[in-house]
Amino acid sequence: MAHDLGFWTLQALNALQLSMLLFLLSIGLTVIFGLMHFVNLAHGSLYALGAYFAASLAAVGGYWMGFFLAPVAVAGVGILLYSGLIKRMRKSGPMSQVLVTFGLIFVLLDLTRIFWGDLALAIDVPTLLGGRLTFLGVEYPTYRLFIIVLGLAIFGALAFVLSRTQIGAMIRAGVDNDAMAACLGINVERLFFIVFCVGCALAGLAGAVVAPLLSVTPDMGLQILIPTLIVIVIGGLGSLKGAIAGSLIYGFVQTFGAVLAPQLASVLIYALLAAVLVIKPEGLFPAKG
Amino acid sequence: MFRHNTLRYTALVLLAAGALFQAFTAEYFGLEILTEILILAMLVLALDIVAGFGGMVSLCHGALMGVGAYTYAILSTKAGIAPPVAMAGSIALTGAAAWIIGAIGSRSHGIYFIMATLAFGQMAYSYVFEAPIFGGDDGLGGISRLDLSLIGVDLNDSRSFALFCLAILGAVYGASVLILRSGLGRSLTGVMHNEQRMRALGLTVWRVKADVFGLSGMIAGLAGALAAQHIMYISPGLLSWTVSGEALVVVILGGLGTLVGPLIGAAAFVVLKHELSSVTTYWHLVVGVILIAVVMSRANGIFGWIEARWGSVFDRRLADATRKQEPEEALTDA
Amino acid sequence: MLETRNLDKSFGAVHVTRDVSLKLERGERRVILGPNGAGKTTLFNQLVGELTPDSGSVHLAGEDVTALPVAKRARRGLSRSYQKNTLFDGLTVEENLGLAAAVHTGNATQLWSDSLAKPEVREIVEEVAEQVNLMPFIHAKVSEISYGVRRQLEVGVALATRPLVLLMDEPTSGVGPEMSKGFHDLLNNLPRDLTMLIIEHDMDLAFDVADTITVLNYGEVVFDGLPEEARGSSLLKEIYLGSWEDA
Repeated sequence: MAHDLGFWTLQALNALQLSMLLFLLSIGLTVIFGLMHFVNLAHGSLYALGAYFAASLAAVGGYWMGFFLAPVAVAGVGILLYSGLIKRMRKSGPMSQVLVTFGLIFVLLDLTRIFWGDLALAIDVPTLLGGRLTFLGVEYPTYRLFIIVLGLAIFGALAFVLSRTQIGAMIRAGVDNDAMAACLGINVERLFFIVFCVGCALAGLAGAVVAPLLSVTPDMGLQILIPTLIVIVIGGLGSLKGAIAGSLIYGFVQTFGAVLAPQLASVLIYALLAAVLVIKPEGLFPAKG
Repeated sequence: MFRHNTLRYTALVLLAAGALFQAFTAEYFGLEILTEILILAMLVLALDIVAGFGGMVSLCHGALMGVGAYTYAILSTKAGIAPPVAMAGSIALTGAAAWIIGAIGSRSHGIYFIMATLAFGQMAYSYVFEAPIFGGDDGLGGISRLDLSLIGVDLNDSRSFALFCLAILGAVYGASVLILRSGLGRSLTGVMHNEQRMRALGLTVWRVKADVFGLSGMIAGLAGALAAQHIMYISPGLLSWTVSGEALVVVILGGLGTLVGPLIGAAAFVVLKHELSSVTTYWHLVVGVILIAVVMSRANGIFGWIEARWGSVFDRRLADATRKQEPEEALTDA
Repeated sequence: MLETRNLDKSFGAVHVTRDVSLKLERGERRVILGPNGAGKTTLFNQLVGELTPDSGSVHLAGEDVTALPVAKRARRGLSRSYQKNTLFDGLTVEENLGLAAAVHTGNATQLWSDSLAKPEVREIVEEVAEQVNLMPFIHAKVSEISYGVRRQLEVGVALATRPLVLLMDEPTSGVGPEMSKGFHDLLNNLPRDLTMLIIEHDMDLAFDVADTITVLNYGEVVFDGLPEEARGSSLLKEIYLGSWEDA
């Protein structure tokens, strides 16, 4: 299969775009786990909600209204979930928390169907980001480049916050040992709340951003949940490094796999997952150990 | 390890009586619901073994059942293999797949393990959906049931098929109890309580987990083969995560780790599903709310709650009769 | 019977095991003494296989077991009780012992019958229950027995694998003086050819029970010899109590 450099650059950009999307989702999920020790399985549903909110808002005020307000709306849903459900489950074991969030997937699935119906929705790419750009010798959709840039920018921002700011230090302390952090006077409860809402906002942002590319359907949440889970299991729970590493691995394996070995493509990433589970079950860059 | 007590025996007797009554008095639609309950009951028994007694909560059991169903369908329709052999084939293949998943996941626990099973279940779903031999979204039809004419039973008759499934469920329940009471079952419980210690005692822990998951998979495969025969048509939806999710909800609803509870859960769930489906298409909302409510209630499902509330009443007489004298502190005598 | 050669382990800058070499003969009862943080439990973890040393080797009955995982070493006769109770809560005393006995007799993975019903398993369970004074509690659940009795069970579970070598990590930790005396009797109940390595803080018990004493301080062996020699040694007092110069 002889392809020119342009083809491979194109695939690499596609892989990077997929990675950035998964990064936006996995970082929220993984830091929530690192801090609060449970996996919010409904995270994918929040992403779907973000897409739906964006679709409705875009119909009213254009793409950018959806882009900026959908994450806020999803963060709002996050606040409701946290105070209504998750906070109450904090004392329960991790299994109970997982089961409750799994139940939430079912609930949110039908709630989106109730409010938005069963038909797929769509958003247009904003005119500012329409068309194609010549980048690295290929013509690539501007919007997809935007997603890559957005993902990298957020990665940079989070890396800065986590390593250079006080709140970042508190988060890292909390991930390391939340009981101890509380003893040191860190308001761990409030930290959890902030991190949870930011995580939800990022999921909503991912949904809003992907809406012009895919159709907005009720099961898009579960479609992205599995890849997100694979990303954090491979990358390792609780760390930024794990999230970016896992996202890049998934994005590139999936994209290049589909091109180089289409028959094997869907199995390839699961084989990688299996290998990690057997060889290094805690993932490549877990926050602890 | 699993023990029966008065309450559990009572529940089993009532369930069996109810099933028999339904089998002999109901008409077509009632029989279809009964069969659906019986097949789901097999699946949730399989899930309770690993989740309730082994601490391995799985979200791929629906997919395993689907694997069994598709294996039976392919073997009996496309490969022309006789139904009994095809059934054996689906049990074996599903058991093997489950064994592999159990082995791969043996070093993972709790949340990691659930996520892994979810991923592998989805992998099976994607594969079945995409491979042309399985008919994609259109599914496979023309599946035939076992031929028991030699013993004078026509399984194409709904009543006979329902009774057939009831008999198999009985056998599966018996097998589950035997597994849980065996040396392997005790070791499984030991692993669930304290994996580190079991390893330190010399047990090859991963093998125990894989073996039990494999056995559970065999039961799921059997349920799948029966499901394929029941509707005589299958589609990839059988392997959807929602089926695995519903199986887990049923186990939690009935009572994790009670073996009898999930049977009750299966009956309640299927009946509720049929009642509500005629009223609303938002069945998943109900499932989710049920799960959240049961988990937040802290009770161990319907049967767990019954046992906690009334179990001691029934068995107090038994307990008193066999209780030894109050043990003294053995080391404080001079 | 049990031997380590030049065992060495560091966690980053912390050198927890410094060139430790020990040799225990069959039937020898050795007590390891040393202040908290001396690396005693870490040493146990390396002997058993739960921790991999940076260098050095562990030998069991003449065989180099350094590369073997925990379960394989256990099956070759190395058993260990923990400082913190590591029992099967929710099960009865009988079931706890039964699990260990089942693994030892090869009944732990068979499907055809209940391991606890097998005569060879029952035999071990009853024998060990007698040895560690658990007979009155045999049908009680772990949650129903007192802490001291649980410590007995902790040792019992380790014994039920009929080991060649038994490592006990502070068996009397957290129990009162009467219990400690009980442990002396318990240890006397055990077969004389069982090799034992015991970490202890209770000096009276240690000197009572030990054939030999090893003292660990900051990860290295600072004393290795007979109890009488250790008793008189100012070294021990210095390690535990500090010398006058530090005051």
